[in-house]
Amino acid sequence: MSEIKTIALLGQPNSGKSTFFNNLTGLHQRVGNWPGKTVEQAEGEFVFDETTYKVIDLPGSYGLSANSEEEVVTRDYIQSGKADLVCILVDASQLERSLYMLADFVGIRMPVMLVLNMMDVAEAAGKKIDVAAIEKRLGVPVLGFSAAETERYPEFFKKMVSAIKTPVCLDSGSLREELVSGGELGEKTDDIISRIEAALGDFEYGVCERIWIAEKLLEKDKLICGVVRESLPFARKNAIDAILDSEEGRDGGILTGEAKYRWVSKIVRESATPKSIENVFSKWDRIATHHIKGKFLAFGIMVVSLIACMILAFPGMGIGFGMQPVLQSLVERAGNALGVWPVVISFINLVLVGGTCITICMTSFIFAIIFVFRILEEIGYMARFSYAFDNWLSRLGLQGKAIMPLFSGIGCTAGAVCGTRVLDTRGQRLLALVLLWAIPCGSKVAVVLFLASTFFGSAAPLFGIGYVALIFASFYLSSRLFGKKLVPQNERVGMIMELPPYHKPHWKMIAAMVGRSTWGIFKKALKMILMVAALFWALSYAGDGNVENTLLYKIGNAIEPVTMFFGMRWELFVSYLGGMFSKEASLGIMSTLFNHTGEAFSLVTRVAASENLGEALASTISKPEALAFLFASMFNVPCVLAMGTTYREAGSFKWLATIMGYYLALSLGLAFIGYHIGLLIF
Amino acid sequence: MKNAEFVDRLSLTEMGENRCGTVAQIEGDSRFISRIVSIGLTPGSAFTLLKNDKRSPVLVFCRDTVIAVNHKESSQIFVKVES
Ligand SMILES: Nc1nc2c(ncn2[C@@H]2O[C@H](COP(=O)(O)OP(=O)(O)OP(=O)(O)O)[C@@H](O)[C@H]2O)c(=O)[nH]1
Ligand SMILES: [Mg+2]
Repeated sequence: MSEIKTIALLGQPNSGKSTFFNNLTGLHQRVGNWPGKTVEQAEGEFVFDETTYKVIDLPGSYGLSANSEEEVVTRDYIQSGKADLVCILVDASQLERSLYMLADFVGIRMPVMLVLNMMDVAEAAGKKIDVAAIEKRLGVPVLGFSAAETERYPEFFKKMVSAIKTPVCLDSGSLREELVSGGELGEKTDDIISRIEAALGDFEYGVCERIWIAEKLLEKDKLICGVVRESLPFARKNAIDAILDSEEGRDGGILTGEAKYRWVSKIVRESATPKSIENVFSKWDRIATHHIKGKFLAFGIMVVSLIACMILAFPGMGIGFGMQPVLQSLVERAGNALGVWPVVISFINLVLVGGTCITICMTSFIFAIIFVFRILEEIGYMARFSYAFDNWLSRLGLQGKAIMPLFSGIGCTAGAVCGTRVLDTRGQRLLALVLLWAIPCGSKVAVVLFLASTFFGSAAPLFGIGYVALIFASFYLSSRLFGKKLVPQNERVGMIMELPPYHKPHWKMIAAMVGRSTWGIFKKALKMILMVAALFWALSYAGDGNVENTLLYKIGNAIEPVTMFFGMRWELFVSYLGGMFSKEASLGIMSTLFNHTGEAFSLVTRVAASENLGEALASTISKPEALAFLFASMFNVPCVLAMGTTYREAGSFKWLATIMGYYLALSLGLAFIGYHIGLLIF
Repeated sequence: MKNAEFVDRLSLTEMGENRCGTVAQIEGDSRFISRIVSIGLTPGSAFTLLKNDKRSPVLVFCRDTVIAVNHKESSQIFVKVES
């Protein structure tokens, strides 16, 4: 049996760990050019030279002190000491800052290898790095690398194998010197580090050396302070407290931080040229970060993206809609010729053909959305976006950083719910969760755009713009309702974040990701839509040909007086309810209920008129009703999966119920308003 | 002499755009210190101020990185401006 070796990927946010992980293991962790995507540790495997390697993708963290939930995950994993090799990834294009993680790792007794990732970006920015010199200085294996370029992996494997065969840890001697010396600033530390070390005696904690523990004590790290308090005898504990108290007025965190950067600077100054400042802040960035222009730009980009989505989705939608009448009449004719029962023909046409066609329409929107937003994310615009909206969000009680989980809600609400972990306080997280529910996931955008194009044709782009505006308005309302309570004025922590350099999109990676996601969603949606369509077909199938006699229609007609209050006839209302389960279900229900004409035989005439779902919908539903349903769908609650995740992350049922109630009221209220405005204008 | 020192004690928010400077002192609780230090601003670090307007976070270029620090917290970072 071959043995298993474990490799942990550690590094600052956005250093390329997940890209590396995905290419090594063939798995698909979320990547994108902004800090804070991975919030949970992921595991994968690869085999090289008959050895199995287990790879751990850790959430990005600036150092080993944990300030927010996802950083705790990283820190805990490192401290568990489980890895055979820790690969520390740094962003070579931002070498000096990202090496801080390495400096914070000094004093952890685990074999390491340093990977200088994004060498391509660094070179393009005119930065030269002498990898061999860094290796010599550090005494551990160092590799210049580009995780996005598959050609470079053999170099990594070679280095990794030898790093595991002859494991080396970082030597803490040189950092210790910096810590003790106090540096050029002249701020003498009167050797506080050695005094703490002496007081610690021979105390060590797992893989942490004494020097590391001393640093963390100075930084007032909660976990280490706790450990020391619990495990040291009383007298020594007091001695340490006395040393730490004598530092009143000077901050230990600054002292150690400064020493670590001094250590980093010495490495970098000898072996790398700095990035030229002209490359850093372009004219474009000046606009993107401007407090007014930046917001207009962001708004414009959102709207243009939505319109681009509609245009890109157009061919797919044409195929879906075009196929339906052709296939249905084929089935009809073949069925009649073979003498198949009408019930079978009805099932095939309404459930299988209808469901598949609508899935194709919807998937074409999904494809467009994933494609367009993927590019935005990869380029690195997201961080500018969040910068431009920081002041606005901080008035709502959040901070700019919250934009990123909110924005990733377009991919999937459930995923973005976990993404809110990057926010520092629980109140901010809960508030972000509330706002997040207003951000439509790809499927919801697809449903809304699909409905808008079906009902309002060329006016559909207006809905794109209106939708974006309504989302912002809902943010304002939500923060009014929840903000004060969740994030009291004194608990508001502001933005501290880096703006990553722009990256050229890697088209191959983007194409693979978009293709895979679209296919995955298509399969899932098809299953869901067929299931729901079959269910509703069965509920509304009338053997005697009179659909009015089915239970579903009876119930439907009974509730219609109430649902019409919100401008939705019962079929639409049922679709709205289905949308709570999943967005696809909403379409599945519509596809059967509106294709159902009552008499199975009238199908022939309808098919002859080559009617498809789009036409069927547009001819039966009035514009005001369509408007009501659109608004209701826009602010409908997300799917069950997202609700489940929200419950888990919020940690209370009360919160889930509150948020749900809020969005039910919001969506039905908007439907009501939309309907009545629609009655006036159409 | 005392006075001259006081004039030097300028906070990041009071500094002009496109000027270079060095961080002199950082004040705040340990959470803030930990965040700001780990992203690259420590006493002694040289930086260029890229953007400083009241309505958005201050932008500095320091250690190869463009860093955004929110206004309130920037006023706890004191700097020496190069003339
Ligand atoms: N040009 C270039 N881009 C890269 C390279 N490695 C990663 N990227 C891009 O850099 C961005 C960040 O990569 P991720 O893999 O998401 O980074 P991460 O370290 O997992 O980030 P967090 O999960 O947020 O901590 C993505 O847009 C990647 O496509 C590289 O070697 N060269
Ligand atoms: Mg990641």
